Amino acid sequence: MPVISPGFIGRFRLRVLDYWTKLLEMVDHTVFRDLANQLRMPEKFGKVKSRFLHQAQPDRVQESSPPIDMGVLNCRVQWTKLEEDNNVFDAFSLEICGLIHAPNDMCETTLQISILDVTDGAPDAKVVQSRLPQWSSQDGPDPSAFCYRARLGKLPHQVTTLSDWTSIAQIRFDWLLFPRKGKRQLQFNTSILPADSNQELAHAKCEFDCENPAFGYMNLQENIERTNILAVALAFAVSAADNKLYDCEVELIKNWARDNILENSASDKDELKLDKALEKTIVFFRGGNKLDTYNICDEIVGIAPVAQRYDILELCLYVAQSKGSVTAEELTFLKNMAEWLEVDTNRFRIMMEKVLPVDMHEVRDVEAILGITSDMSKERVRKHLNKEYGKWNSRVTNADPNIQTQADQMLNLIAEARSQYTAEAIVS
Amino acid sequence: MANIVGIDLGTTFSALSILNAIGKPEIIPNADGERLTPSAIFFDEENSDIVRAGIEAINSRHLNAQRSVRWIKRHMGDPNYRRKIDSKDWTPVELSALILKKLKQDSSVEHGDICDAVISVPAHFDEVRRKATMEAGTIAGLNVIGIVNEPVAAALYYATTRQVSGKVLVYDLGGGTFDVTIMEVNGHDMKIICSQGDHALGGIDFDQKILEILEQMYKEKFKAELIGSDEDRAKYEDEAEDIKRTLSRRDVAKKMLYGPAGNMRVEITREMFEKAISPLMDRADILVEVALGEAGIEPAGIDKVLLVGGSTRIPLVQQRLEKVFGKTPQTAVNVDECVALGAALHAGLTMLREKPDIMPAGISSGLMDINLTDVCNHSYGTICAPIDKETGRRVIQNRIILNKNTPLPCEASQTFYTLKEGQAEVEVTITQGEGSDVEFVNNISTYKFELPPDRPAECPIKVTYSYDVNQRMHCKFEDVESGRVLEIDLGLDQDGKMSESDIKEKKQQLSAVGRSKVE
Repeated sequence: MPVISPGFIGRFRLRVLDYWTKLLEMVDHTVFRDLANQLRMPEKFGKVKSRFLHQAQPDRVQESSPPIDMGVLNCRVQWTKLEEDNNVFDAFSLEICGLIHAPNDMCETTLQISILDVTDGAPDAKVVQSRLPQWSSQDGPDPSAFCYRARLGKLPHQVTTLSDWTSIAQIRFDWLLFPRKGKRQLQFNTSILPADSNQELAHAKCEFDCENPAFGYMNLQENIERTNILAVALAFAVSAADNKLYDCEVELIKNWARDNILENSASDKDELKLDKALEKTIVFFRGGNKLDTYNICDEIVGIAPVAQRYDILELCLYVAQSKGSVTAEELTFLKNMAEWLEVDTNRFRIMMEKVLPVDMHEVRDVEAILGITSDMSKERVRKHLNKEYGKWNSRVTNADPNIQTQADQMLNLIAEARSQYTAEAIVS
Repeated sequence: MANIVGIDLGTTFSALSILNAIGKPEIIPNADGERLTPSAIFFDEENSDIVRAGIEAINSRHLNAQRSVRWIKRHMGDPNYRRKIDSKDWTPVELSALILKKLKQDSSVEHGDICDAVISVPAHFDEVRRKATMEAGTIAGLNVIGIVNEPVAAALYYATTRQVSGKVLVYDLGGGTFDVTIMEVNGHDMKIICSQGDHALGGIDFDQKILEILEQMYKEKFKAELIGSDEDRAKYEDEAEDIKRTLSRRDVAKKMLYGPAGNMRVEITREMFEKAISPLMDRADILVEVALGEAGIEPAGIDKVLLVGGSTRIPLVQQRLEKVFGKTPQTAVNVDECVALGAALHAGLTMLREKPDIMPAGISSGLMDINLTDVCNHSYGTICAPIDKETGRRVIQNRIILNKNTPLPCEASQTFYTLKEGQAEVEVTITQGEGSDVEFVNNISTYKFELPPDRPAECPIKVTYSYDVNQRMHCKFEDVESGRVLEIDLGLDQDGKMSESDIKEKKQQLSAVGRSKVE
């Protein structure tokens, strides 16, 4: 996870509660829900999926054309292709020309390149970060900032003039982490330093525009925070799925929100704001209102990596678990949610097994519990159930008595399901 | 040389067999002249140091059920199970030791000192239960030279007394447990392929179903409960067992129920019984299929189905197997005694391997051509923290090093890497169980492995597990760069590092069982 400056976090946190207000506006009107359901077409899912997974190569926006003054050092950037280990990568090619002053002849020099994102203007410039530790500015003010350093060689004379553009570095695009997605204006800062000191001999900067197809680190941080808000909304929606909001469920959600939305250094004022927002949400749900959970999940899929989606699902499972039993409505809700969050069916089933053992289910959806799908033939169901039986049979002697009980219940359930689903498919 | 014996420590009955002068196993009857001894204990009402084991215990429980114990094997290895008699909390190990003491004592009368023994256990018993069984033997005064899986013991006896070749499925449905084992037999050459088992499926579960029918019938007629006390329950449990036995021979079993609200005559048909036990039989059927799947064999690929255990006398068991395999199961050997007889053979083979010099020539020549290849009954692994490919996060996971059903002896290695720079130690855990989820496997033991200081992260640690034919596991954790090694022996006969409380408990167990006068 990229490290961002504390100042940025502080600024961002002020927006958190605005999100909440917007969220509460998403009241589930029937028409809106119908529309959302209609949108649940494969094309829609495909589009959403590609939105997050899209790692397209950058578009060529502009090649630099810096003014050349041979009395100083100049630099320029061009797109290039780099071939490494049979793979081709997009890269920035840096060239310099002009004058370099050294303390003496045959001075050993080092090249240093850093990049700023100046899309929002120079005063609001943000560093471009490195995805690789070796190109991080370890001793600089921002340790995650990209800083390319390489030996440049000996300058033959005390005053050296490069009359032609000379290629000095190729920086792979995928090494870099930009602040934001989309069209970016980059400022490349090139310094030539003596090998034995940080006293700059020559410096040049140039700007270059490019398109960043992936989320930037600021987007990522915003996405994390936005996702956490949405997670709380989903957790409340699970709790309210059976039209009751139990205190234990509310308490669990509140604790999760405090742990994940507020930073350790949060002020009392921030805490109060969060508590107010939570109370408002509770009133909203206790009033029988619903959220459009499909659209919330859809938004999460667009901005959250799979790991965070697992966290959300886990939170919701624990909410369902907290009162000791899980209703049919809650189970259906969780199942839909897992599907909408594009969580693998088997992974969801394993999470369910751990958090919501079968004795907690008020109504047993055998197919969901055992992973039987409508496209399975009787023979496939039989083999699948045998595998499940073998798995749970090995857990019957677990040291934890709760797991022993769960395993026993699962064995009985599998045996029942087997006679129900594979009545005619006995081994011949 | 002392006698070599094999003991079938069963849930409902136990038996002891001795190797004769030419290496053939023989059952030794108990003091009552019976070849099978009920695995039951009754603590005398006047003096709890006097313990009745066997048939007398069965009869006494009708008078005072609180002082009687049955089916203790179901609780073997359960750290939370205690049976309080007067002021003493008896553990499953101690109670089992009392049964073993009775067997040892009765056999010694005619055959002299009984010392070296192999005790049989269900194939699916885990390390904890095996070790508990071994401890029970030790406390009873036996030198437990090994543990053998019940179906393996039965097949061993079967293969040495009958002409067998091909793939054999041993269907062992006993009083309290069920095992299915698939093996390749070629004369006296036996290779185990795999085993599956159910710890809570056996004759007592079938008896329970009959008891439920009786209770239901009584309630329907008198609107009253048939059973009002533990003694009533003990009595009707025995009646239910009797009905079950009758239904193995006849279509109907008739009984009189003498309940508190009045007496009634009941008739239980085989059909009623079969319907009641059908869900239990389904469980057995699935395990047969799971074992076949594990072995990669279709039912048609099984040459013989061998029945072991008293519950295989139930006609439905045989019918179901016939339907699956298309052939009649074999019941040629005595289903109640073959495990004890095979255990004695296994004891002989163990002695022949460990101490060939002291084995009498007759026994040696009788056992010499028997060749048994057993397998690891469970998977063994260690806990590690790899990065999940999907989420990119580090996850705590069980990694299997020795796979279940690997032929013995076996050895396997895997290399893991330290996590942190300057990591001074690594916690190594030995696990038993299937799958990668740490919650669903058992931790056998955990040790601290100290590492050299000031090193970068990702230093390799090679983990090697080996398992020998005597079911002794050796675990080696090696810091590859420094050559530093942590070695752990986890044999069933080795206690490893015993805590002070363990030592104290063992002393108490020895003293309690030693003090008890078993009759």
